[in-house]
Amino acid sequence: MTADLVDDVFRRLQKEGFQEIALEFARENVEQIRFSASSTDLHNYWDEENLSVFAAMNGRTVSTVIKDPASVDQAIIRLKEVALRTPENPSFVSINREHQTYGNGMRSHFQSADLQDLQNAMINGSLAAGAERAAGLIYNRNSEITVKTSYNECQFSTGGLEGVIRAFKGPFTGQEAQHFGFSTSPTGKTFEEMGSEAAATASATSRMSEINPGKFRVLLSPYVMGNILSYSSGFLSYYAVETGLSCFAGMLGKEISTGEFSLYDDPEDYSGVGSRMCDDEGTPTSRLEIIGQGKLKSYLHSTSTATRAGTGTTGNAGIISPRAWQMSLNAGKTRFENMLDDLEDGLLINNAWYTRFQDYRNGIFSTVPRDGVFLVKGGEVQGALSGIRISDSVMDILKNVTAISRERKRVKWWEEISASTMPYVMVDGINISKAF
Amino acid sequence: MGGELIDRALEYASRSSRYSEARYMEILTNDLSYRNSEFEGMDSGKESGYAVRVINNSIAMAYCDREDWGRLKEAIDHAVRISMKPGKSSIWEGNSIKDSWKVNQRKPIEDMSVEDRVTLARDFDSLMKSAGADVRMNVIHDKRTKQHYVNSVGSDIRGDVARLYYFYMVGVIENGEFEQSTKEYGSSSGYEYLDSLNLEERITSDVRDLHESASAPRPSPGKFDVIVGPEISGIVAHESCGHPTEYDRIVGREGALAGESFLTGKKFPFRIGSENVSVIDDPTIQGSFGYYRYDDEGVPSRKRYLYRKGYTDEFILNRESASMIGRDSNAGGRSSSWDMEPLARMSTTYIEPGDYRFEELFEGVRKGIYIKSFTEWNIDDIRFNEKYVGKEAYLITNGDLSGRVRRPVIETTTINFYSAVDAVGRDLEFSAGMCGKGDPEQGVDVWMGGPHMRLREVYIQ
Repeated sequence: MTADLVDDVFRRLQKEGFQEIALEFARENVEQIRFSASSTDLHNYWDEENLSVFAAMNGRTVSTVIKDPASVDQAIIRLKEVALRTPENPSFVSINREHQTYGNGMRSHFQSADLQDLQNAMINGSLAAGAERAAGLIYNRNSEITVKTSYNECQFSTGGLEGVIRAFKGPFTGQEAQHFGFSTSPTGKTFEEMGSEAAATASATSRMSEINPGKFRVLLSPYVMGNILSYSSGFLSYYAVETGLSCFAGMLGKEISTGEFSLYDDPEDYSGVGSRMCDDEGTPTSRLEIIGQGKLKSYLHSTSTATRAGTGTTGNAGIISPRAWQMSLNAGKTRFENMLDDLEDGLLINNAWYTRFQDYRNGIFSTVPRDGVFLVKGGEVQGALSGIRISDSVMDILKNVTAISRERKRVKWWEEISASTMPYVMVDGINISKAF
Repeated sequence: MGGELIDRALEYASRSSRYSEARYMEILTNDLSYRNSEFEGMDSGKESGYAVRVINNSIAMAYCDREDWGRLKEAIDHAVRISMKPGKSSIWEGNSIKDSWKVNQRKPIEDMSVEDRVTLARDFDSLMKSAGADVRMNVIHDKRTKQHYVNSVGSDIRGDVARLYYFYMVGVIENGEFEQSTKEYGSSSGYEYLDSLNLEERITSDVRDLHESASAPRPSPGKFDVIVGPEISGIVAHESCGHPTEYDRIVGREGALAGESFLTGKKFPFRIGSENVSVIDDPTIQGSFGYYRYDDEGVPSRKRYLYRKGYTDEFILNRESASMIGRDSNAGGRSSSWDMEPLARMSTTYIEPGDYRFEELFEGVRKGIYIKSFTEWNIDDIRFNEKYVGKEAYLITNGDLSGRVRRPVIETTTINFYSAVDAVGRDLEFSAGMCGKGDPEQGVDVWMGGPHMRLREVYIQ
């Protein structure tokens, strides 16, 4: 498939009577290495091309993905058939019709990094720091993307390196999961340090502690904040607000956290793998203030949701359902080591997973801490905890933030944490439950 | 169907690898959704491509989405090159099998008109609205997968699978209180499956239950005898039996992702609970969402006891994990798409029914809770510490239901849960789900289920 084919598909859709068209052509080279018990499990290599099609005819919308040039004819026949035989889609108003200009962005400097060497550096780093074994993976991604709409055309590159390492020491574990976009130059040393850090967490204590369920002051790591905010990002989409499934509904302009808390969507940050120059309908992306000094400033919008809400697009299409690209929680004023001192009697939680909601409208959820869950007294780790949960609500956690660290990490892990930059965050009165 | 290059790909890969296999998949999908009385468009997709696995000093896979020998050859060359690097390299090769299989459809997916699909979703939405649901989402998804698998041992297997999936979410607001419910229905079949479900009754009663639950009191924390419904038996079987018996987890291959297993390092058979509990994983159930005659590694499927009478029995094995313990693969190898590696996966995982009638389970329960369905749930990464929040739930006083309760919470461990089971019902119901695992994450179609069960002295929060 080539850029010529994109133009050809575009012309043919126009000829079939589609008035508004948004195409996204992605050429992706992805290499992955996976390892466990400190040795390689599998190398994966993907070389793929996708043409995502969104098209509208008289208020009817259709979409598909074309992967094979040979299937273009069939795909266009099917799209027209569906458009003629389905009702109008009221969620769609239009794509962005304004003529846009784009910056230079960040061109790819995709390098065929030796993933085996980087893997060995991570494993050796963890073993040297006391881990008994390590598991993890590394990705090297490079995507060349063209977005062509009825009104605009934008081309950019995105991708970079991602590394995940989990260190094991007896019953204790530690994990690091970071991402490095095109403006960074991670080396073997970078990956070795990730291994060391994961092992340091796994080695932080050799004692187990017990607590009763209740309310605790908790120091949440960048991974835990990344997890909670990744899962919550869907609630910030106006799509969820409109549907009636968002705990942020009706909160625009209201204070929902401490004045130190500012959350951005920052797709212009090329140090992360979530960078992006434009959204799915060709609107240039920019740094969006979602929560500013504790107040909810904006939902995530496409042209369609923004029109329905009486505001402007934020460059977050998803044409029907807007989404965040790369969230960034601002750095605070406090050093991490001082936050540990300030904890007094509390918990330090380094990672969490399996976040599930019983109530989207009120943001009530629980998540399972892992990879470094510690009882802290007087700034010192007393022992590790197992079998506990954060069982609380997104809104209460945001409301009870008391401090944010100066230090931040670029975090990304599996389906649990989308590419983001997060600090440590202290929260008072988090409800902790446990198994009986 | 494409895939003309598959034999050439296998022959080429075999020249420079100790073991090789090639798989071609073509996947046709249709998705449409209705949200709060608004149609949200329809997506039709077609994906196809080759996955080639080669084994030398390590295992490597390459994927190519083109009927282009130059591109496919380049991908195989890349895989062979990186397979020369050190790593794990064992695989169970098995025997040569030549066969083909397909899922029969009475109302074939390909015969379903666009209008019929839209009407189905619209009618579900209208039904929910009439029943009093304030929030309504309906998603209908169908999928037809044609697959061709060959390997260097001589296997050559073709499959043709139709699957149907219906997901809905409803939410109600009652006196300012919100309650939500999600349901998933899936089958390996055509659209006839939806006709068999009596969805009108199911949806109406689900919405009615939410209204009643929203105004019910929370239970006082304490110990109760608990009767759980098939939906809870199913999620428990899936999460705290199916996942921890996937052998790749036991040996740590998912260590940095979905985690390991509480069975890691144990001596087998290992006691997991009362002798009343047996858990089965069975890919051979015709019509089930996770049905297959051959797995995605060309291995014939069969029923497997994962727990038998309170002890571990078999593990879920694919070719790679079978080789680690010197066993034959028991056909657990599944890939969610053409460009994904096959992992050890579940199919239909369920607690084996016992011989208690529903009414018998309640006899002698002085102070109890009947938890029929669940909303929030999660489990830790070794599949030991789990939580289930009740959706439709009732107090039991002296054997009789005595009023609804809202969101009772079971937060316990796998062994405590299974050890508390003292009576297992004779009924059996399944629900559908998309099971996640691996990186890139692969969601595979599964059923999970079981009978009603009685547990003694469970702490409810």
